[in-house]
Amino acid sequence: MDEKKEFTPSIIYGLCSWCGTGGSETAGAMHLQYAENIRPFRVPCTGAIDPVYILRALIEGADGFAVSGCHPGDCHFDSGNYRARRRTAVLKSLLDTFGLDSERVWLRWVGHGEGKRFADTVNEFNDHIKEMGGNPLAKRRDT
Amino acid sequence: MNKGLWIEGPIKKGILDFLNGLLADQKIKAVLMPAKNKGGDSYAWFLMEKNGMLDSADPAPPVMTTQGANVVSYLTKKGPVWEKTAVLLRPCEYRAVIELAKIKQVDLTNLVLISFDCPGAFPLEKYINGDPKKLDEIFDTCLEKQTELEGARNVCTICHRFSGTGADIEIGLIGGKGEGFWLVPGSRQGEELIEGVAGSKTDNLDVRENAISERTILQETKRNNMLDSFQETVMGPENLLNTLSSCINCHNCSRVCPICFCRECYFDSKALSSEADNILQRAQRKGGLRLPPDLLLFHLGRMTHMSLSCVSCGACEDACPADVPVSMLFALAGRNTQAVFEYEPGRSQDEAVPHTVFKFEELKDFETPYIKEYSKEQ
Ligand code: SF4
Ligand code: SF4
Repeated sequence: MDEKKEFTPSIIYGLCSWCGTGGSETAGAMHLQYAENIRPFRVPCTGAIDPVYILRALIEGADGFAVSGCHPGDCHFDSGNYRARRRTAVLKSLLDTFGLDSERVWLRWVGHGEGKRFADTVNEFNDHIKEMGGNPLAKRRDT
Repeated sequence: MNKGLWIEGPIKKGILDFLNGLLADQKIKAVLMPAKNKGGDSYAWFLMEKNGMLDSADPAPPVMTTQGANVVSYLTKKGPVWEKTAVLLRPCEYRAVIELAKIKQVDLTNLVLISFDCPGAFPLEKYINGDPKKLDEIFDTCLEKQTELEGARNVCTICHRFSGTGADIEIGLIGGKGEGFWLVPGSRQGEELIEGVAGSKTDNLDVRENAISERTILQETKRNNMLDSFQETVMGPENLLNTLSSCINCHNCSRVCPICFCRECYFDSKALSSEADNILQRAQRKGGLRLPPDLLLFHLGRMTHMSLSCVSCGACEDACPADVPVSMLFALAGRNTQAVFEYEPGRSQDEAVPHTVFKFEELKDFETPYIKEYSKEQ
């Protein structure tokens, strides 16, 4: 347990530049604290996150990859988030197929004004990944 | 619609006679199909007109050289053919053509797609380096009798979409006892072309249809069982990377894949080339690094891009110089990703590729719900 506590996961957080980033700004404005080991990866739209980016992060050292953006119906580009959801479904099914921890990838919508939801998501995901432990792919040389 | 026509006699000859007849009557202008090379150990595709039919043309060759859908794409990528052209395709090639038509890499205008009940194909390498004459005989017997093709490629032994269903004209062998074949129209166009061809009209295809359903059930079970046990051998980082370990990163598998149509592939692009410095850092993090890198990224990434449309044609594995079970990996990946959308590549042109459409309410299982308030002081 202690060991797990000490483990600081490397986490990438894919945020769209509208709601996802907005949520993080609102969290900041509300002075909410959240885990600092999150590296935001800002993209124009969740629909712009090709699963290959997520795979690359997981293979090269990330322990988890979360994606947040506008709620369904709110996408700045109308339908990017629906496409992101389809891509995430494909990616997670593949990770499941090959026993590669699909739970290291999360998709959760966060609206611009939802600072609390943003901070909660960061903390929950961080704890969840801590619980899972380090990503075995990250340490493999033969990838 | 006309149910079909029964033509008695030797199969390959009958098919060629049918095609020559269509050419002679000017119902079609050209035929695109494989023909044996002069050396006799392989096949290539030829576009042939009335007076140019090669004696060596073979509507159902024992190997798949270039995937037919790639050939059709070369032909029509920049616009349709001007005159009616018949194309002879294996069922998986036909399905790939349909997938490519959906994403505008094939223009179906004026094409007559003809497919047949396929017993499978030999691995290309085995054919070229083996005894082609003997393999031809084995194949032709299996084609006629519709028995299991011994020595077929793995992916063929678990094929569950072995008939030409959906094509403009389906050449029906299953249920024909090797005594002849049916020409079954799958479209108005197909029906018109069969009109007037010598043969006996059938209004009952029950024998054939029942035999197909029976075999489909058997093959589906076999496919699922085999993919399940294959999955056990590739699950987890250790197994998966061991399976891929002989890969030489040549990317042949994607180059020959009909579904990998992108002219510029991300995995061959500058996006993945980095400075030595960067590579050294990666090596440091991992305690060493296999080079060239991005082996797993290439295979898994390719799966995220195209496994939804993978038709299990096996072209990838035929092209692999390193014996990686690529087509089995993609068959497994495809089965599981396609199931999420209840999608079947090549089934119908009206079914959009799942990446290109969406529903407002769907896939909730893939979102992580925000159920509890996760506030606490860090
Ligand atoms: S991945 Fe292999 S089996 Fe699937 S469509 Fe491409 S070449 Fe055919
Ligand atoms: S063809 Fe074989 S060796 Fe070449 S990249 Fe594909 S799997 Fe690797």
